[in-house]
Amino acid sequence: MATLEELQGRITRLEDIKQIEKLQRIYGYYLDYNEYQKVVDLFSENAESVEIADYGVYKGKKGAKRFYLELLGGKPPRVGELSIGMIMQGVVDIDPNGKTAKGRWYCMMIEAKPTLSLHEGELRQLWGNGIYENKYIKENGKWMFQKVFFFLNFRTPYEDGWLKVPVVGQNGPSTEVPPDAPSTFYYPYPAGVHLQPHYKHPITGK
Amino acid sequence: MNLEELEKQVTLMEDIQEIENLQRIYAYYFDLQRWQDILDLFSDNAESVEIVDHGLFKGKEGAKKMYWDWIGQGGQPFRAPWVQFIITQIGGVVNMSPDGKTAWGRWQTWLCEAKPFGAYPRQEWLHGYYENKYVKKNGKWLFSKLHWNNTFCSPFEDGWMKTPLMGLMNYHPTIKPDAPPTAFRPYPSGYHIPYHYKHPITSR
Repeated sequence: MATLEELQGRITRLEDIKQIEKLQRIYGYYLDYNEYQKVVDLFSENAESVEIADYGVYKGKKGAKRFYLELLGGKPPRVGELSIGMIMQGVVDIDPNGKTAKGRWYCMMIEAKPTLSLHEGELRQLWGNGIYENKYIKENGKWMFQKVFFFLNFRTPYEDGWLKVPVVGQNGPSTEVPPDAPSTFYYPYPAGVHLQPHYKHPITGK
Repeated sequence: MNLEELEKQVTLMEDIQEIENLQRIYAYYFDLQRWQDILDLFSDNAESVEIVDHGLFKGKEGAKKMYWDWIGQGGQPFRAPWVQFIITQIGGVVNMSPDGKTAWGRWQTWLCEAKPFGAYPRQEWLHGYYENKYVKKNGKWLFSKLHWNNTFCSPFEDGWMKTPLMGLMNYHPTIKPDAPPTAFRPYPSGYHIPYHYKHPITSR
């Protein structure tokens, strides 16, 4: 029979996973509504980086602010712009120290966005898909983002599909709000380069 | 920490899991067109049901009008075989009241449907957000309020930008809602459905 302390440890782990799942989903809902200040407030003061698709790496909390507030939120969304990210299928692992964690998620996107650049060009309806491999950190009892990394699989016009047009337009690197470093892993379909998961095989441990 | 506190923590985790299952089971019943089983997921003291632009239906009686009479076409267990409701439940954010007896949940939904519009069978994509309320009665979680707000309902052939809304669904010759829809503002209105929760870090 486990001791009270051991049970406390086990229930805390389950609570931590649930809190991280909620954090990740709430992040998605804020992004849907272009609420970038609220997104930035989900990041730790000691955040490592944000890297989304071909935008490049934005380092630290300062970089997160530059990326979300200045780059994405630099111009108000255009009439008819639509940004839905459905964040699904989380695999969340708490590190043994109980203070940091990692999570892998699918994101399926339903969008209506400018396709010449981030804020310019004709609005088109798009399907998008990608994978998050994120890091989380617990500070003052609350889980926050330490790192957001998003691997883009495809972003394609509704009328074409991923086989005909895997990625429409190019979003980064921005000249107005430049990244701190170039993209580290941008290989959309059909590159066939896979984003490996943070976790080991649950059975073999490899 | 003592045993009593531990039990509270375990109960909270179980409650969230029960509610997530309830929400997902609801969608599978919808897909299966098991309208009576859906009604049985609602509390006898249910507040209301509101789906797209059908209007606000109050109480358990209202829920019966919505699911059994209207969507279920007067108690027909199944509609035509080609009619399809695939309703995915994604991104549940469930929060419990301090007393542990009521809860709220936000979800989003991506639907893949086929149903008649006028005289014609159509295939469509839909998206929307739920903001629901749940209540615990006799140890079981039930719906006390269900609100599904529609972002778009678009023909497969067109997509959401060309045809955000295929048509209104707010008319029935005999069934009338208790009140008009409270928040039906589909794309491209830019309408934001309020969150039941505060920001998890800033609490604002």
